[in-house]
Amino acid sequence: MDCREFSDKHLAFVDDTLAGIELVRMQRHIAECEICAKQDAKIRRALLLFRNLPAIEPSEGFSDRLEARLQEAHHDDLFLATTTRNLKRGAVAATIASVAMLAYIGSTIYQTDQPRDLMMAPVVATATEPDFTPITTSTPAIVASAPAGLSIWPVALFAEEVPVRFAHSRFELAQLSR
Amino acid sequence: MANIVRKQAVPAVGPSVRERLQAMDDSAVVTAFLGGEERAFSELVTRYQTRLLNFVYRTIGDREKAEDLVQEVFIRVYRHLHRFDRSKKFSTWVYTIASNLAKNELRNRSRNPLVLFQTVQKNFQDEERPLQFEDPTSRPDDMYRKRHLREIVEESVAKLPEHHRHVFVLRELEGKSYEEIAEITECNLGTVKSRLNRARNSFAEIIAPYVD
Repeated sequence: MDCREFSDKHLAFVDDTLAGIELVRMQRHIAECEICAKQDAKIRRALLLFRNLPAIEPSEGFSDRLEARLQEAHHDDLFLATTTRNLKRGAVAATIASVAMLAYIGSTIYQTDQPRDLMMAPVVATATEPDFTPITTSTPAIVASAPAGLSIWPVALFAEEVPVRFAHSRFELAQLSR
Repeated sequence: MANIVRKQAVPAVGPSVRERLQAMDDSAVVTAFLGGEERAFSELVTRYQTRLLNFVYRTIGDREKAEDLVQEVFIRVYRHLHRFDRSKKFSTWVYTIASNLAKNELRNRSRNPLVLFQTVQKNFQDEERPLQFEDPTSRPDDMYRKRHLREIVEESVAKLPEHHRHVFVLRELEGKSYEEIAEITECNLGTVKSRLNRARNSFAEIIAPYVD
C-alpha cells in the first residue's frame, strides 16, 4: 500500500468500516510509514477533542418560549383552517351560481333557435305638427311699414336717420325749455 | 396543544402515559401524536431539543440564534408532521429541517453584514460572561484550561468552510451515517465522503498548533 491509497481509505479506517484485509494493510502501512502514522494520530486526536466538546443545554426560558410559539402557531392554523373552510364554502356557492347562470344562458340560446311569432311594436298614426316659426323682425320700422303699405327702402332709409332726428328733437326741446 | 411543552414538567401528566411514550421509538411516538395524543409531541421535543441545539450551534456558532432556529424546527415539525413519510426515519427528517434552517441562516448572514457584525459583537460580549459549561467544583486553573481548550476547538470548527463544517458536525457530533448525511444535506454519497475527509484533515491542521 502506498501513501495515496492510505489517504484515500483513511476515512473508512477512522470510522472502522474497512474489511478485515484492508484494515490489516492499513495498519501495516502505519507501522512502516512515519508520515502517515503522524497524520493518522493528528486526525484522531483532533476528532477526540471535537467529540468530547461539552454539550450545551437549552436555556431556562426555552420551553416557555417554545410553548408560546406553538400556541401562536396553533391559533394561526385554526384561523387558516376556518378561513379556508369559508373560502371553500364561498367557492362552492360561486360554482353553483355559475352553473345556474350557464344553464340559464344555455337554455336561452337554445330557445332562440326555435321558430316563434314575431312581436312587432303597435303601429300608431301620428299627424305632423305644424311648423310655427316665429317672425323675427330686425326693426320696428319694417313691421310698421307693411300694414301701412309703405315700400321697404324708404322705411330703411328713415330708420337710418332716426338717431339724427332724435337728436334734433332733443335740441328743439331744450330750446323750448329755456 | 396549549400546554404541549409545559406538560412534560407538570406532574399532571399521567406517569403511565409518559413512561409508555418514553419506551416507544420515534416512529411510534409520531404515530401516537398523529393519533391525537398531544403529549407525544413533548416527548419528541424532549428527545431532540438538546441534540438539535448542539448541532445548530456548532454549525452557526451563535447560541441565541441556535435556540430560535431549534424552536422553528419544532414549529415546522408540529405543523407538517402529518405530511411526514413514516417509511423514513424521523430523526433524518428533523435534522434535514434543522440543516436547511442553519444553511439559510449562514446564507443570510453572508448577505447581511449587519447581522454578521451583531453576531461577532455578541460573541465578543459572551467572552465577558462567567464560566458556564465547566463543572463548578473544578479548580479554577483547570476550569480556565478546559474553557480555553473548548474555545480553541470551537474556533477551529468555525474556520472550516460551511459545507465541510455541516458534514463534519453531523458525522462527528451527531454520529450520523454517511447515507443519512447524504439525505440530510441532499448530496450524493461520494460528495459526503469527500467533504468529510477534507473536513477532518483541515480541522486537524487548524487545531494542531494548539494541542501539540
